[in-house]
Parts: sequence; structure tokens; C-alpha cells
Amino acid sequence: MVAAVRRIKDNALSLTFLILFVASVCGQAVAGLLDYNDQQAAAGSEPVSLLDYVASSSFAVDVAENWQSEYLQFFLFIMMTVWLVQRGSPESKEPGEEGAESGEQQRIGRYSEDDSPAWSRAKGLRLWLFSNSLGLVMGAVFVLSWLAQSVAGQAAYNAQRLTDLRDAVSWGAYVTSPEFWNRSLQNWQSELLAVLSMVVLSIYLRQRGSPESKPVGAPHASTGVEG
Amino acid sequence: MPFAVPMLAVLTVAGCAVDTTSPARAAERFHAAIAGRQEDSACAMLARRTAEKLPGPGQTCADALREVKLGPGGRSTAVSVWGEEAQVRLTGDTLFLHRFSDGWRIRAAGCRPVRDLPYECEVED
Repeated sequence: MVAAVRRIKDNALSLTFLILFVASVCGQAVAGLLDYNDQQAAAGSEPVSLLDYVASSSFAVDVAENWQSEYLQFFLFIMMTVWLVQRGSPESKEPGEEGAESGEQQRIGRYSEDDSPAWSRAKGLRLWLFSNSLGLVMGAVFVLSWLAQSVAGQAAYNAQRLTDLRDAVSWGAYVTSPEFWNRSLQNWQSELLAVLSMVVLSIYLRQRGSPESKPVGAPHASTGVEG
Repeated sequence: MPFAVPMLAVLTVAGCAVDTTSPARAAERFHAAIAGRQEDSACAMLARRTAEKLPGPGQTCADALREVKLGPGGRSTAVSVWGEEAQVRLTGDTLFLHRFSDGWRIRAAGCRPVRDLPYECEVED
């Protein structure tokens, strides 16, 4: 019992976000269904069930377009903070530390420690893969989500075009259409603004106790310090 | 990540078009009924909103269909199905259909393309 409570407390951040994510997706499914059926009624069509709705291209494109932008945001943040710095931001390394850093700094190869992951002691492809695994996974999920958005988006777009008595379009025509880019860019701009806000506001503002913030008393000019 | 992959797979396949035969048959049956002067049967294949909109004052749906004088449909040459919507091209006509719980019904028929604008249809909802 004590061990179970300890395990939950040790993973409270992940568990809380997992619960919030599942609750949000369920809420989106229900709200989306009500909205979809409202449109169905207006078009003289029959309402669909929750199961049919969550399997529809309409739900899929709404989910995927948000996923791709979130993973793009983290992918860019992870990769750009390797090479670019922001003086005063706890999200940044110190100016002068730009780059992939030395083996000693990264504790790889002969600099690895007893409790280092096994692949940090490897060489060649395995070490490269593990050294870039976070960016690779975030980038891969972004690409897959964006692809899913394009496929589901084409299906939803074409269903609407047929409803409007227009010809359906090919996947190639869809991914070069204003509809696809409007969906993508409206998500990207908000994600990029959020990252910009985090990087810049964290120079001057504090959140006591949060590792995403500098300590309250840390000077504005100090970089890479998390409280 | 182990969670994301199956979710993405589901998302990727969602909305894939499958059965093109049923809407094609519905479109051909509709035109066959008109060619056989069975306008009542043809009216029964229309979507409710289309059937309601078609007749003028004092007309029945069958009267209105007779008046429209749709040309011969012919065999289907191309079918496009996306979700609950379908477009069936016959050799002599283009039709738009919607899938209801009792099957495919005709939303629009006697349609001519107008560049990338909506088709102009003799019968539509």
C-alpha cells in the first residue's frame, strides 16, 4: 500500500497529465459529436452515434491537427535550444555553450557513469540514436500526426465538397490547398507564440517552486538556472 | 510513444472510402426507374429533403420528375465516396448521394459541372 502510494506520488506529474488528456479527449468527443449532429440536422442528415463520430474523419482531423502542432512545438524547442540561446531564460543554456557539447559534458562513452543508460556507453549508431532519441521521437510523432491530419483532412474536406455538390480532390491537391495550410498554420502560430512567451517571460517573471522558472531571487540576467 | 502509434494508425485509416458499388447501383436504379416511367419508384429513392423540395405548387414528386425530363443515365464510369457522401458519374449524368440508415439515396441528379463551383443540378436538395 505504502509502495503503491509512493509510486503514484513519484509519477504524479505524468499521471495527472494523462488523466487530463483522457478527460479532454472524451470531452472533445462528446462536444464534437453534439456539434456534428447539429450540423447533420441542419443538412437534413441523420445523427451519428458517438462510436461512429470518433471513427470519423471529422474527429480524426481535429485531433491530428492539434497533435502535430504540439509535437512540432516540442521538437523545435528541443532542437533549437541545442544551438540557440536566450540570455536570462531558464529554458536556455548559458551563452557560449551552444552546440551538442563534449562527451564529458554529456557523460557518454568513457565519461559515462555506473548508473548511466547502457546505450550512453555504446558507440556508433546506437550512441547516435540514443543521443538524439528525444528529438527523433518528437519529430517522428509530428510527421506521423501531420500525415494523419492530411489523410483525415482530405476525407473530411471531400465529404464536405460532395455535400456542396462539388468534385472531390486528390491528396496532392488537398495538401496544397488553403484548407490544409489554414488548419496547420493556425495551430503552429499559437504554439510558436506560447514557446516565445515561455522563453521571454521566464527571464523577468517567476513561479515559486516551479522548475520551469528561475528561483524568485535569481537575477534577470542569469541564464539556464531552474528553481 | 507506444500509445501514440496505434492512435495515429487509427487516425490515419479513419475516413477511408470503401463500398463504391452500393451508391453506383442506387444511381443506376434511379435512372432505370425514370427510363421505365416509374417516377413514383424514382421518387422513393430520393433523399427526403430533395423529394420535398422538388415538386412545385399542386404537383406530386412524380409529376415534377416527369417535368424535369432527365436524360438517360447509362452505366457508372466513376464513383467517389467520402464518409456518408458519394458522387456517381454515369455515362449520361452525374448524381450526388447520401448514405442514410436505410441505404444510399439521391440528393441531386441531372448535374452539370461549373468549373470548380458547385454543380448545377436539375434535381437537388
